[in-house]
Amino acid sequence: MGMLEVKEASVRFGGVQALQDVSFELNRGEILGLIGPNGAGKTTLFNCISGVVEPDRGRIAFEGKELRGLPIHRRARLGLARTFQNLRLFSSLTVRENLMVPIDAFALRGMLADALRLPRARFEEHRADERARAMLHFLGLSEVADTPAGDLSVGLQRRVELGRALCLEPKLLLLDEPGAGLDARETAELAELLPRIRERFNVTMLLVDHDMALVMRVCDWIYVLDFGRIIADGRPEEVRDNPLVIRAYLGEELIA
Amino acid sequence: MRRTAVAILVLIAVVVPAALSSFERILAAQAAIAGLIVLSLVVLTGFVGQVSFCQYSFAAIGAFSVGSLVAGHHWNFWAALPVGVLAAAVVGVLVGIPALRLSGLFLAILTVAVALLFDRYVFASNTFNFFSGGITPWRPPRPTLFGLHLTGAYTFYLFVLGVFLLATLLVWNLRTAKAGRVLRAIRDSEVAASTVGLDVTAWKLAAFGLSAALAGLAGGLQAVSINSVSAASYDFQHSLQVAAIAIVWGVGAVASAGFGGAFLVYGPEVLRHTPLSNQWFPAIVGLALIVQLVFTPDGIVVDAERRFRHLVPVSEPRTAPAEQPVGVG
Repeated sequence: MGMLEVKEASVRFGGVQALQDVSFELNRGEILGLIGPNGAGKTTLFNCISGVVEPDRGRIAFEGKELRGLPIHRRARLGLARTFQNLRLFSSLTVRENLMVPIDAFALRGMLADALRLPRARFEEHRADERARAMLHFLGLSEVADTPAGDLSVGLQRRVELGRALCLEPKLLLLDEPGAGLDARETAELAELLPRIRERFNVTMLLVDHDMALVMRVCDWIYVLDFGRIIADGRPEEVRDNPLVIRAYLGEELIA
Repeated sequence: MRRTAVAILVLIAVVVPAALSSFERILAAQAAIAGLIVLSLVVLTGFVGQVSFCQYSFAAIGAFSVGSLVAGHHWNFWAALPVGVLAAAVVGVLVGIPALRLSGLFLAILTVAVALLFDRYVFASNTFNFFSGGITPWRPPRPTLFGLHLTGAYTFYLFVLGVFLLATLLVWNLRTAKAGRVLRAIRDSEVAASTVGLDVTAWKLAAFGLSAALAGLAGGLQAVSINSVSAASYDFQHSLQVAAIAIVWGVGAVASAGFGGAFLVYGPEVLRHTPLSNQWFPAIVGLALIVQLVFTPDGIVVDAERRFRHLVPVSEPRTAPAEQPVGVG
């Protein structure tokens, strides 16, 4: 049984069928790619899994547990973390604080312990700080630890978002176009970083991106979405040579 | 640096009223109480970015509870005050529930509606009589603290100042720890906050509850401060004015509570001694609001903190255990 199972998920926004009977499985330890032209429904599928959008039909199960109806934060606590295509950092918080928030979300101490500065609160604060710093070090972000996240370049912001998601200690990481807005060198670094993250944090990944080169290089298996339907899946080289996929991408080029 | 500034300000707050007349000492206590209301806005607006124009309605719940229980039912003040604070917190959470789906302008309108509802119905004379059991307003006497009668103007002022400073310290602790971080995160992006596992609803309601509790505390103290509870002291006008003052000083800074409270009470007093009368105070607050929104959109205290930040030494960041880092892109 897969770690994540999506069965016949459908979403309609007004007159637009964003997703039509989408089904796929994701196994533990995989890096699964999801590609497709603009408007194919990739982000909608992500939103269905993380809870931002509820599908009209179908089921989504994570480790055998049905996710539909669960609020976003409950899904996060089950071990589902995500990043956003259009960055959503806590821009007024420093980089280090951004990484502490997911650790805070799991901390048991309440407001009272904080207000009274009980020893437990100080201990947990210290521990959250240490963990955030260790993660920043791993991601090479130590230098900007105390910079407000909103002041960073897009490339660094993407990396902070990745760090914030990892601080949740997720089992499954959903990456929504992590390569968007990155230059060639940053993309290459990302392609090298993602497998390292999988090794170190033992995390499964679902990756959406336009950048075919990045997806081809990183993913074990790829699904191709077009107009809300899965039109193909397979290993990277299979998908690359699939005429349906080529047509979907070329079609988009011609319209654009 | 920050500690020195706070110590000096507290010293001024303690010493100066000792040299003032009895009437001015009463005003000083009023300023500390108004400071608590500004503090309640620092929690709600400054931490979570929720607007409120009904803080004095929450204060009224504290005042009416203390007035009713102490003067009407002969409770001990120390038993009545927590009841008032708790009741205000509960109402705050209730107001927070519809507010969860609203923000900005629509939330502002909701809180105006709450304030007007309190003005028109809860404080209306017939409701008032129902609670008090008569037509005479409540006159709760000053409490005693550890056998000490808080009847003297200066003694009572020191007591209220102590409560204010304690509340400010608690809010400061919250702000600099997990709660402050979490609430600011929610203000920055609610979706992102929930995807990292935060129960945004619960945190927002907690902020509403805490804010209303602080306002309720102010109301309870106000009741015994002036030995009287009257609806007119807690109407929408007051809520509107304190919101404007909180914004002028800067809801992002805890210190605004002290400055804002003093300004709210002493502003009209200073005007009284000028050719202008204290009738002009609301106009001056309005003018200050316009000037501030143009020149220091975050408020006076926040702006000043930013200007003087470079004077504060920043502690060296600790280094994490050695490990191969990824190049900074």
